[in-house]
Amino acid sequence: MPPPDVLDQLREARVAAPQELRERVRLIAARATAPPRRRIGLRRAALVLVPVLAACVAAAVVLSHRTPGTGSTRGLPAGSTVESSPTPAAPADRSAAPQPFTGAAAAAPAAAAASKAAPLLPGPTPGRVQRYEATLGLRLRTPAAVSAAARRALRIAGGLGGYARSIQVDAGGASGYADLVLRIPRANVDDAVQRLGALGTVTSENVQAQDLQAQVNATGRLIARLEKRVGALRSQLAGEQARDERDRTERAIAAFTARIERLQRGRAGTIRTARYATIDLTLSTPQPQPAKPHHHGPLHGLVAAFRWIGIGLVYALAIAAPFVVVGVLVWLVVRTVRRRREDELLSRP
Amino acid sequence: MCDVRRGERRIHGVTSFAQAAERHLDDVYAYLAWFTGDRGVAEDLAGETFERALRLWHRFDPGRGSPRTWLCQLARTVALDHFRSERRRVRREELAAIPERFEERLAEGLSPELERALRRLSAGEREVLALRVLLELDAASAARVLGISATNCTTRLNRALRKLEEALDAAA
Repeated sequence: MPPPDVLDQLREARVAAPQELRERVRLIAARATAPPRRRIGLRRAALVLVPVLAACVAAAVVLSHRTPGTGSTRGLPAGSTVESSPTPAAPADRSAAPQPFTGAAAAAPAAAAASKAAPLLPGPTPGRVQRYEATLGLRLRTPAAVSAAARRALRIAGGLGGYARSIQVDAGGASGYADLVLRIPRANVDDAVQRLGALGTVTSENVQAQDLQAQVNATGRLIARLEKRVGALRSQLAGEQARDERDRTERAIAAFTARIERLQRGRAGTIRTARYATIDLTLSTPQPQPAKPHHHGPLHGLVAAFRWIGIGLVYALAIAAPFVVVGVLVWLVVRTVRRRREDELLSRP
Repeated sequence: MCDVRRGERRIHGVTSFAQAAERHLDDVYAYLAWFTGDRGVAEDLAGETFERALRLWHRFDPGRGSPRTWLCQLARTVALDHFRSERRRVRREELAAIPERFEERLAEGLSPELERALRRLSAGEREVLALRVLLELDAASAARVLGISATNCTTRLNRALRKLEEALDAAA
């Protein structure tokens, strides 16, 4: 290291530019029309554009993966709400008689909160001949509960003067199911529905009622006409002398009488049938939940986009790596050669 | 409004270049004088440096270094081009003898011994001395001008100083 005074001497040895050079440089600066400086450089632009482009790509991927019309009801099968929710029927105006039936289901959609409430099926109209059929679906927790509820339903039916027309109970496995077709006296239908509905959680209700009163009345009028006709024939038979005429009249009387008997039997059967309501009670445990379809969140598209970008990068790296290595080697060689030449150039005094 | 702003920007850019040129002309000239060892050549190269600086002024990024460092980088490039062309010319004309140089003093205020010792240094050694001692650039800025690492720059400086000391001892 040279002595400090040498370094000080070197530092103080200023070399001032000659005046000619100074004037020349001033002229250069004066005629300068420097182009406006680029305010937004490539780096700054890339800093903004790259995130924006990435966001656009991600948004496009997300939007392209979202199926149209999917909202909160996505994945629900069509009509499942109607089928699965309890359907307490709209309360009917039971005082209105005669009921202008129908033959159609009186089920109506109901709120899920009402699923535990007692069924509100419209009851039959007292004093009229009606065919009344109701379907009641109940859900219970366990197969054992299904079995117990089936037994209680039978007891309820028997207690109300009814009987079971068919019973099907399957409560031995992991899930329980029972289907009971009960015949309940029409007068006790309301009570039966209330008590049966209390056995579990009501999942579905349906009622079909058909008014047969007009049909019974028509049959009665027809029977009356036929009996009147038979009475007239009998009077006619008493006054006839010819054998052929008597035979013909007697055959007519027999035919009318047979028809009257058929009509009377039919009417009696109709009235007898209408005396009992049919309640189809279905007891079941909850269906095993189907495997939930993998619900992709909103970021799934982004993840997929980045995955594909990663895959692309790996491929690009695999393809470009040899070129990059060769390029780096060439750059190193060129740099080394250039530096050696520079050193050689600057090594002379 | 936009034209006014553009004009202001242009004026600002020209003014900045003019200020930089006025402020650092002596530094660039001194660096080139020490680097080339010839004041006349340094004068030509300094003019060429500022011509080039004017053309490239829009590329200057203040965030990456001071104007003086940037101007010295340009001056070095111009000087290297001069050295190369000079070497080609010497080879072409088969002039074995090195042309006469150092006819005038490198700088005012140097003792004759120190000036002789400086002349015995190579251009590269004088260059690093000019940057680190004369212009008092820090190691990072000098390394940026030379295109080498700061450690390498310090090594070059120590080697140049050692050689200068040896030359001074020999002269003594």
